[in-house]
Amino acid sequence: MNFISAGAKKTILRIALGFIMILLCAIFLLPFFWAISTSLRLPKDSFNLPPQFFPTSFCIQNYEMVFSTFPFLKFILNSLLVAVVLTISQVIITTMAGYAFARLHFAGKNICFFLILSGIMIPISSIIIPQFMVVKSLGIMDSQLAIILPYLINPMGIFLVKQFMQTIPSSYDEAAIIDGAGKFRIYWNVILPMSVPALAVVVVMTFVGSWNNFFGPLIYISSWDKMTLPLGLNVLSSSLGNGDISVILAGVVIAFIPPILIYIFGQKYLLQGTTLSGLKS
Amino acid sequence: MNELVTKKKKLFSGKKENLTAYLFLSPALVTFFVFIGGPIFATIFFLDFSKYNIISPIKIVGIQNFARMFADPEMAVAFINTLKFVVILVPLHVFIALILALLVTRKISTPFKYFYRTSIYFPTIVTVSAVTVVWTYLFNYDFGVLNYLLNVLNLNSVPWLKSGSWALVSVAIFSVWKNVGNSFIFYVIGLQNIPDTYIEAAQIDGASPLRIFFNIKLPLLSPTVFFVLTINLIACVQIFDEPFLITNGGPGDSTQTIAWQIYTQAFRNFNMGYASAIATFLFIIIAVITMIQFSLQNKWVNYDYE
Repeated sequence: MNFISAGAKKTILRIALGFIMILLCAIFLLPFFWAISTSLRLPKDSFNLPPQFFPTSFCIQNYEMVFSTFPFLKFILNSLLVAVVLTISQVIITTMAGYAFARLHFAGKNICFFLILSGIMIPISSIIIPQFMVVKSLGIMDSQLAIILPYLINPMGIFLVKQFMQTIPSSYDEAAIIDGAGKFRIYWNVILPMSVPALAVVVVMTFVGSWNNFFGPLIYISSWDKMTLPLGLNVLSSSLGNGDISVILAGVVIAFIPPILIYIFGQKYLLQGTTLSGLKS
Repeated sequence: MNELVTKKKKLFSGKKENLTAYLFLSPALVTFFVFIGGPIFATIFFLDFSKYNIISPIKIVGIQNFARMFADPEMAVAFINTLKFVVILVPLHVFIALILALLVTRKISTPFKYFYRTSIYFPTIVTVSAVTVVWTYLFNYDFGVLNYLLNVLNLNSVPWLKSGSWALVSVAIFSVWKNVGNSFIFYVIGLQNIPDTYIEAAQIDGASPLRIFFNIKLPLLSPTVFFVLTINLIACVQIFDEPFLITNGGPGDSTQTIAWQIYTQAFRNFNMGYASAIATFLFIIIAVITMIQFSLQNKWVNYDYE
């Protein structure tokens, strides 16, 4: 290979790696393209070969059929309600706890922090049975509360918020104290507004996590009109079989959209958040 | 961080703010104890020694559940399947994510970088139960895209979800596709935190990219590798969603995992005491893994660049 210059070798390598990268990205993205294209095919054509990755037919009726044949709108509204309520309440609880760990001095601080953090390592399968019993005894089985209350505790979120709040200079607290503010006022009017990046991370994490939650609804929800989207889709797809998959895929494609939107919206905050989680320092 | 704490202590005269603090903490603490702390305690110290099927009251039965668990051939299968998943998935995640991260953090133009990063991370954000529907169709023996592509290349169709041995592999393939983005992002951040000056200095000294990787990047990346390894170990041991949604433990029992057993015993067979024993077993496995990881950390994780 003496007749190829070093520079040319480098360029060939770059192009080769470029092709490999495009191929890899195609692997990650093609299932989505297939889903979208097939969802737009006529139901009877949906499994026809060759498979399509780009839509050639535009059978929008499939999308209408998803809503008319199943309580699909109910699924979406349930998921939305749960996600919004959970996100708002969890942000408040998480930031209050984070503030306590970041700014306040109290007996048992380290023990409490360690305790809450250990929650990250506890597998959900190991606590689901007693948790189920608690939910049952609270009388909230098969309700939205059953998939909100157990998820109000977010150890990772508390950790992130605490880390972030600790980077806010205490001079702000001091100024507020001089103005006569108590701890809660400092939290609400000073620290919280300055913690927006960390808040954004918790909001995105919680919303997407709630939207995508399958195991919780699987255990706690049994009636059609209380189901959230992940559970509804699962029940839907097993009941329809392999016949009209383009209709199911229409539902699937709709289900994809909200997490994507939230992700795009919170993108820059998300990456900031993982840096905050202590891997850097 | 230490200076900040001591400085604050001086500023706030070291007075303890116990009541205020616990008022701030109480929602989090209450939720923790009611839904996490209490339950794990109940599982380990009470329910696993009992017999409970929701209808009749709880009965204490001693170590009967554990005796049953160790003799149960279904549990043996679940344990072996979980082991298979761990052995296949963890190295795949740890290595593939690293290679992807290295490919993406080269000196290439930003739009490409952005496109690669978004594509790789994309599957992690969508709903599992939605995307498993898609993959179940992709894996379809007669009409699925995967077998179609294989046939185009003149290869035989693979019984992705029809054969027991292939089913586990298929679930693993899906799991990597769906989740590798998570490990990938951690590696990207870890690589970005390596100061360029180190790399440039090595390049000036004439080091090849391979040497730069093994002697500079990898050691400085070791905390990230440790983190990714631990996270993936813990996640794989309790894997449930993917085997449940794609094959529901089948065909036969080829994709039943420990977590799958817990779910089935508790919520299908209503053997909650027995399921709790399995749940305790799972918890102990994870605790042991975590302890081993943390004790081995000192041997190979390199923190001294801080």
